[in-house]
Amino acid sequence: MGNDSCSSTSTAWKILGRRIFFRLLIFSFLWYALAGSDKASWLLGVPAVLLVTAMSLWLASSSSLNIHLLAVFRFIPFFLHQSLRGGIDVMHRALSFQQLLDPGLVFYTTLLAEGSARILFVNCISLLPGTLSAELKGDQVTIHTLDQGMPVWANIQRLEYHVAALIGRTTGNKKSL
Amino acid sequence: MTILYHSGTFFIGIGLLFFLSGTVGLIRFPDIYTRLHALTKADNIGLGFVVCGLSLQSGNWAVIVKLLLIWLLVLIASSASCHLIASSGMEKKIKPWTRP
Repeated sequence: MGNDSCSSTSTAWKILGRRIFFRLLIFSFLWYALAGSDKASWLLGVPAVLLVTAMSLWLASSSSLNIHLLAVFRFIPFFLHQSLRGGIDVMHRALSFQQLLDPGLVFYTTLLAEGSARILFVNCISLLPGTLSAELKGDQVTIHTLDQGMPVWANIQRLEYHVAALIGRTTGNKKSL
Repeated sequence: MTILYHSGTFFIGIGLLFFLSGTVGLIRFPDIYTRLHALTKADNIGLGFVVCGLSLQSGNWAVIVKLLLIWLLVLIASSASCHLIASSGMEKKIKPWTRP
């Protein structure tokens, strides 16, 4: 992943510069939000922001992911909507007088490459309505579902599509692989 | 101001309903996996509504950023720990409850 974007050193430097710039921006903003407008707080803030930026680059150095901002803005409403549906679904099943559960296991092979994207995908499965990621072995995800009558596969494929779009990939047609 | 305050109270009330249903699910659901469903989903969205309500009442952007940050961190922690509990359940060969 990311090997194709490192064809020349100048683009590699540009990408590194962009990553540093965005991290500095985000962490400075966070410091400002946490510490308030007192200028003296930057005495500690500047070293903290620099340290966190360095740590973040060091910890994430193995995955040179290129996050697409537009996809992030598309992911957030999708995520919120699915979380709301998941919450309402659980509320309905928990408070109903009848027994509405028909749990079972579903096995899914993900097309996402190993690393941050796959981990985000597995964590988000637990927030979709009626599904919970029970096990991850390589690209095999074992999913526990509350109701086997639900369209589990369709939901998960949609989530996978959205996560892939975050890093500028597409899951494409599953049959072609 | 009062409209913001009262709509905030409304959102917090909805959030508490989700927390309540998550707890009812935790008690009523039959096994470890289904209980995890109840806890993670209901509590995440419940906390989301509480954060929304408090943000409407706070009237200060720094407080809102802090609240959203808390929500994000709780989302990450709860979905990761949910996955870890479920996978250790699978490792211990705990059979999921199925409909008789």
